[in-house]
Amino acid sequence: MNRTQTGLDAVHLDPVRATDFVPREPVFQLRDLSVSYSGNVAIRDVTLDVYEKAVTAFIGPSGCGKSTLIRCFDRMNDLVPGAKVDGDVLYHGEDLYAPGVDPVEVRRRIGMVFQKPNPFPKSIYDNVAFGPRVLGLKGTMDLRVEQALQQAALWDEVKDRLKESALGLSGGQQQRLCIARCLAVEPDVILMDEPASALDPISTTRIEDLMHELKRDYTIVIVTHNMQQAARVADMTAFFSVEVAPDGKRTGVLVEYDRTAKIFTTPADQRTEDYVTGRFG
Amino acid sequence: MTGRALKGGIFKALLLFSLFVGFLMLVVLLVDVFKDGLPYLDLALLTNPPSSDPEIAGARPAILATLYIGILLLLFVVPIGVFTAIYLEEYANKTRWYNKLLEINIQNLAAVPSIVYGILGLAFLVRGIGLGRVLLAGAMILTLLVLPTVIIASREAIRSVPDSIRQGAYALGATQWQVVSRQVLPAAIPGIATGSILALSRAIGETAPLIMIGAVTYISFDPTILGPFTALPIQIYSFLRLPQEEFKLLAAASIIVLLAILLTLNAFAIFIRNRYRRSW
Amino acid sequence: MRISFQEELDELEGSLHMEGELVLRSLRGAVEAVCGQDLELADEVIAFDDDVDAQYFQVEQGIELLLARQTPVASDLRLVLAILKDNLHLERMGDLCVTIAKLTKLTKGLPPDETLLEGFREMGERAEQMIRVALRSLEQRDRVAAESLLELDELIDRANRRIVNRLLEIGHEVEQREWGLRMILVSRCLERIGDHAVDIGEQTAYLVTGEFREFTDASH
Repeated sequence: MNRTQTGLDAVHLDPVRATDFVPREPVFQLRDLSVSYSGNVAIRDVTLDVYEKAVTAFIGPSGCGKSTLIRCFDRMNDLVPGAKVDGDVLYHGEDLYAPGVDPVEVRRRIGMVFQKPNPFPKSIYDNVAFGPRVLGLKGTMDLRVEQALQQAALWDEVKDRLKESALGLSGGQQQRLCIARCLAVEPDVILMDEPASALDPISTTRIEDLMHELKRDYTIVIVTHNMQQAARVADMTAFFSVEVAPDGKRTGVLVEYDRTAKIFTTPADQRTEDYVTGRFG
Repeated sequence: MTGRALKGGIFKALLLFSLFVGFLMLVVLLVDVFKDGLPYLDLALLTNPPSSDPEIAGARPAILATLYIGILLLLFVVPIGVFTAIYLEEYANKTRWYNKLLEINIQNLAAVPSIVYGILGLAFLVRGIGLGRVLLAGAMILTLLVLPTVIIASREAIRSVPDSIRQGAYALGATQWQVVSRQVLPAAIPGIATGSILALSRAIGETAPLIMIGAVTYISFDPTILGPFTALPIQIYSFLRLPQEEFKLLAAASIIVLLAILLTLNAFAIFIRNRYRRSW
Repeated sequence: MRISFQEELDELEGSLHMEGELVLRSLRGAVEAVCGQDLELADEVIAFDDDVDAQYFQVEQGIELLLARQTPVASDLRLVLAILKDNLHLERMGDLCVTIAKLTKLTKGLPPDETLLEGFREMGERAEQMIRVALRSLEQRDRVAAESLLELDELIDRANRRIVNRLLEIGHEVEQREWGLRMILVSRCLERIGDHAVDIGEQTAYLVTGEFREFTDASH
């Protein structure tokens, strides 16, 4: 197997240029990870490392299992009946799927923002306060809410209407609210499953600028079907493709994982090249 | 007119005609009742117990009993119905056979005729556990009668809460119970409230089960929970059986009272539904 | 908005200007070497070209990454394309300075002509001025300043012609003739440097107006 396809060796192969992204400690280490739903393998044999305080993007055509994969990081796949995870997901060296691990604790440290903004039908304040409340976090709630909204670049727009319903915000504001909600519980990692695909271009740019800010303090993993977005925001990019078995079953596989700069200038695999140049979708 | 336009016109006319027929029948009923009953609708009707003298006869015990039954009904049916709905929607693994069986049973129970519930009540509550012919038994049996409706309405309300809300709550680290109690239930309350009130208004109009478990037709003292009782529909029936002409008019007046209660409840349900309707 | 993109773009432009500074140093060194017959300085200039090339390479890579990752459009795209071409022009200028230095080394021991050396000093100053104007006009997106390069180029061309005429006068002795032949090339290099500066000015005009137009149609 081509050594550039795994996260382990890829970053050591290229000569380090002054502008190159330098990865730090791995936060997640995936080893031979496969996920199946009721017997159908959605994605198989994924091995890669996700590095801290960086943005890692998963790109690929639809059906390649990238959303399935990202949901392994916070054990959201547990909520899907019939979902089965094989292989290892190590978080700071610990097995995320070990028997004694509490999914609730996992999700506190590893937050998630979804494709379609999903604010709760409550006030803006209560939305952001929900996480800390259910987790019983100490500290002044007002301060927590303000800090989270500041970090999500939403504070100035809503500070005078915190008690109003969150559903009255625009799409872009709602998504930033969801990010604030996530930040309020002080996570370690933020997962974003196509965070801007339901938004207009200006809101998308704001979210991308936000990611640029947030990665100073948080590890970010995003799934996106917009590869230009991955090119703009991500430090590392993983390209997944779909394998079709003779019986028609479709399974996702990791094709290439490397610095974004390399993926978009000189990808090692022809499949990657075909995808990023738009020759095949 | 062209052929197509003519067909459209005829179809529209048929629709309006059907609407008209139904509406007309309702109007005729109401006008008839109001014509007879309105003059006899006075405070005495509401505050006096029944008597053989139509001048001073009232429906007070029946009205009170109907109210007590209503309150007890809500106290029983809402928790049982809502918790059942929560179990079925949020906790049950829908592929398991016993849950599928539960589903089918609930659907069927909603279709059982009310008199069967009456027989059930008589056999198990009045005689079986020896509760006797009391108001409490009436409330319990009506609870069973409308329980499937409340369960179904609550399930619909819970189902209408989008899954994205649950996912969002889980993703923040909430436990299943927290997700249900802090997100799903609050969002489903309008639907649950509407369903419960509609169930209540159905139960208030039921006569057969109450008769089966021994509601009396004539009672002159105020009812207690563990005592004999009557209810407004039954009172109306008993007024009609009395010989004097005035009692028939009193019955009409009582019907107005019953209708007023039902319409108020239904209006309240509609108000709640409209006020708290969410556009997801 | 698009903060990181804007930062990258500014950094890239900054790198280009840095390269410009390096080229100016190279030019000054080369002219000094020729006028002062300073062979050590000539060697320094030749070695210094590595720095210029390194900067060129850095700008190249920066452009490649910017195009791949940020998909610039409209004036951003024109800026990147202008930087791409200006990068090449600057690098060529650096190479021309090296050529001047090499020619200086080749004329070791040959008799110089003072008038000619004066001419070179003047051309060198002109060329330096042109490079500065070109880079400043880019920085300030000043089309008028860019177009003024044409006049300055005219001055260099005249100086070049004067030098050629002077060389025709003095070419009697064999050694003088050899020296003269080499010095024509030096003059040519300086004149070419001026042309590249004009090209940089054309890129600035393109950046500002969106149209690419050569400042003059006639080849000179």
